[in-house]
Amino acid sequence: MPAVQDTIDRVRKIDVDQYKYGFQTEIAMDKAPKGLSEDIIRFISAKKDEPSWMLEWRLEAYRRWVTLDEPKWARVHYPKIDFQDLYYYAAPKSTPGPTSLSDVDPELLRVYEKLGIPLKEQEILAGVQKTDVSEFEEASDNVYKSGRVAVDAVFDSVSVVTTFKKELAQAGVIFCSISEAIREHPELVKKYLGSVVPTSDNFYATLNSAVFTDGSFVFVPKGVRCPMELSTYFRMNEKNTGQFERTLIIAEEGAYVSYLEGCTAPQRDENQLHAAVVELIALDDAEIKYSTVQNWYPGDAEGKGGIYNFVTKRGDCRGDRSKISWTQVETGSAITWKYPSCILRGDDSSGEFYSIAVSNGYQQVDSGTKMIHLGKNTSSRIISKGIAAGFSQNTYRGQVSAHRKATNARNFTNCDSLLIGDQCGAHTVPYMEAKNATAQFEHEATTSKISEDQKFYVMQRGIPEEEAIALIVNGFVKDVIQQLPMEFAVEAQKLIGISLEGSVG
Amino acid sequence: MNIHTTPQRTPAETALIDAFSDRLSLLPGDGTVMLKRDDAIEAIKSGLPTRRIESWHYTDLRRLLNAVPDFDPAAAAKAIAPIVEGSVILPVLNGVSSAKVPVIDGVIVQRLSEKLTDGSIAPGLDPYGTDDAIGALNTAFVADGYFVDIADGAELDKPVELQNLQAGGQTHVRLAVRVGAGAKAVIVERQTGEGAALVSSVSQLLLDEGADVTWLIVQEQPDTATHLAQFKAHLGKNSKLTLFVMNAGGKLVRQEIVVKTTGEGADFTLRGINLLAGDTHTDVTMVLDHAVPHTASTEVIRNVVTGRARGVFQGRINVHQYAQKTNAKMACNTLLLSDDGEFSTKPELEIFADDVVCGHGATVTEIDHSHLFYLMARGIDEKSARGLLVKAFVAEVIEELDDEAIVEALETRLDGWFATHG
Repeated sequence: MPAVQDTIDRVRKIDVDQYKYGFQTEIAMDKAPKGLSEDIIRFISAKKDEPSWMLEWRLEAYRRWVTLDEPKWARVHYPKIDFQDLYYYAAPKSTPGPTSLSDVDPELLRVYEKLGIPLKEQEILAGVQKTDVSEFEEASDNVYKSGRVAVDAVFDSVSVVTTFKKELAQAGVIFCSISEAIREHPELVKKYLGSVVPTSDNFYATLNSAVFTDGSFVFVPKGVRCPMELSTYFRMNEKNTGQFERTLIIAEEGAYVSYLEGCTAPQRDENQLHAAVVELIALDDAEIKYSTVQNWYPGDAEGKGGIYNFVTKRGDCRGDRSKISWTQVETGSAITWKYPSCILRGDDSSGEFYSIAVSNGYQQVDSGTKMIHLGKNTSSRIISKGIAAGFSQNTYRGQVSAHRKATNARNFTNCDSLLIGDQCGAHTVPYMEAKNATAQFEHEATTSKISEDQKFYVMQRGIPEEEAIALIVNGFVKDVIQQLPMEFAVEAQKLIGISLEGSVG
Repeated sequence: MNIHTTPQRTPAETALIDAFSDRLSLLPGDGTVMLKRDDAIEAIKSGLPTRRIESWHYTDLRRLLNAVPDFDPAAAAKAIAPIVEGSVILPVLNGVSSAKVPVIDGVIVQRLSEKLTDGSIAPGLDPYGTDDAIGALNTAFVADGYFVDIADGAELDKPVELQNLQAGGQTHVRLAVRVGAGAKAVIVERQTGEGAALVSSVSQLLLDEGADVTWLIVQEQPDTATHLAQFKAHLGKNSKLTLFVMNAGGKLVRQEIVVKTTGEGADFTLRGINLLAGDTHTDVTMVLDHAVPHTASTEVIRNVVTGRARGVFQGRINVHQYAQKTNAKMACNTLLLSDDGEFSTKPELEIFADDVVCGHGATVTEIDHSHLFYLMARGIDEKSARGLLVKAFVAEVIEELDDEAIVEALETRLDGWFATHG
């Protein structure tokens, strides 16, 4: 059954030519020469004032990277990327170091204002200059108590500001840019960096290991529940610049943290490269919640321009009873190549993946997850919804595997796709690998989620059909939306109403 | 990953290439056929598929095929009793068809060696894709088999059983069947023998308008044999194909099923049972193309994995852009009964049409403890209770075939397997 009109209208509202964040900003930038070589890596490392072990680590990754080929297995097509025709480092000139907001170029602040980072956050951002800890504490007693978000703002290659650092430090939480962490907390970085996504992992992760310029670092010590949501806002501005950020989040025994990530980029005719690596580590009883609203520039209606988004995201449930949850709303990028994964190493650990991917215009999405069950009694859950319109291709690619010793591994996967129009494609490529007899895996991809029974139940209570459908659909998509923190709910709201009626596998 | 390497030829690849130059003078075929053979061996020279080739992801043929037996001219296989009594038997003994072809009303039967010699079979010898290693292997070496043409409107009252029997060495067989408009037939494809053979077998089926065929593949190779098989079918307008596949043997088995609906109203049903024991590696890979509007397909695969067996099911449904109103459903259920066994499955959907109903489901699990408890609470010991549940799990698929004689015959095969492996 074809998609219903209401759905078509809603998807239309987020079509590629409606991109709101396509403006660019003229800011004096400090750039490395174009191209990639050992010298450039030395330049980046020197700019960041890094210790020698970090430089060695980068160089080793680079030497490995030159021996690798780009992976070809994903269902995405694009002209060959000339890796020598990119800038690997670009930073706003006026930032001596991301210490306080007063150092930040007002032009930059305007960028973030324009991007609509939640207003209350803006107030707090503005407050940084004149505020001390007590004022925050006062604030924490009133309305901001639950709504506060600490933000790390990354502009092209560098982190320009991190808010709420002091208050977080009081709780023992370290939240700073990764460059700062390398300088201030080398023992932690050394211990965990590359332990989930090794430098040799894949083509883009290896490239990232060699040239990553910034990103966020979060460390939540034993027994601490992070007092607020942490967030990073990525903005690509410079032309022909690759953005390579690296995020490392560690939750020690019994810790909890919720982290959000948002991304936008200006509208340009050329394609831009974004290759990030995110590593999550959860020790015993820890929980990490990672949410993304990815809204990179998707290219114009003719498929010109847009971001190539090649991202490696992986969480390691290293400790027993640990939990990692990925939630993503993907609407941007010309090409998305992204598989947030969970390695369920600890006994009784669990992993979750909730995803809504909407593709429009000439976008190509190849996204999904991997759930690798290694420990005993591990469980995982995958809910994925893909919506393809225009000339786009939307692929779910996921892997669930239980290793020999993973007794009682449990997985439930549900992926639905919806096609709007006959020029787009929806694809489902799930891999299931069971090597343990006690594993229990279920995969389903169903057509129509609205059963007659459900509809009848609602309608016989006097609710008209259309509303009944909306009610059921809302309840259904909420599976994913509910996982998103409040701050992202607004963007996600646009997607809530999308009905999956007429969806195919 | 992705590191450049210059692959060295494996002993199996070398053995195949050498065997080709040795056999070349003995292989039948006109100029076109021989050219196709040359192309095919070139494909093998460039290397057997590895797990890097997506369609061979779980069956790394280059690694798994570690020995290739020589051709054995002395090997002698004997025809066996058909699974359904009274069937017409077309035996291929150690790669050679019978000189005396049986006479069936409304059916033309020819030895495939003749069709190769006169070149009339040449168009069917092309591999269906660059990753079609089985097609290439078979095209390079195929020497015999049968060509069967069932006339328009003919209704065969007895099943035709094509027996491919090996007694060691190498055999490369092809069975080509055309079923005329409105014709009806039951065809059994037996794949068995008693040697440590390398078997490649390709069956190609063409259904004309309104043809109705039930095709059963019963594979019971010994646990020393390598069995590389392919079933290709084109379904014409309003035709109906019920394909039943049972894998219950072999050391390294790959059964490919390549089906395309080419006429509106075509209906494809696949029912498969994989009974895996010992050290077997058994892979069933299906590629189904819905190329025209208003066609339907359902696939149900049931797997039982015991011992150190490894099983694979890959099923890909392609719904082309114009194939509106396609109705396709696929399910793959696996009972994993031993800690050393493993099963991997990849049910893919590739959809380019927006007005279709497609779905797939896959499960891997052990025996349901509540079911076991139910039976044991009624005084049935654990072993028998497990046996009952496993058998019920696969027998369900067989019972769906509505021909009593066939259901009975297949249940006998099933009982035979459970008697030795249960």
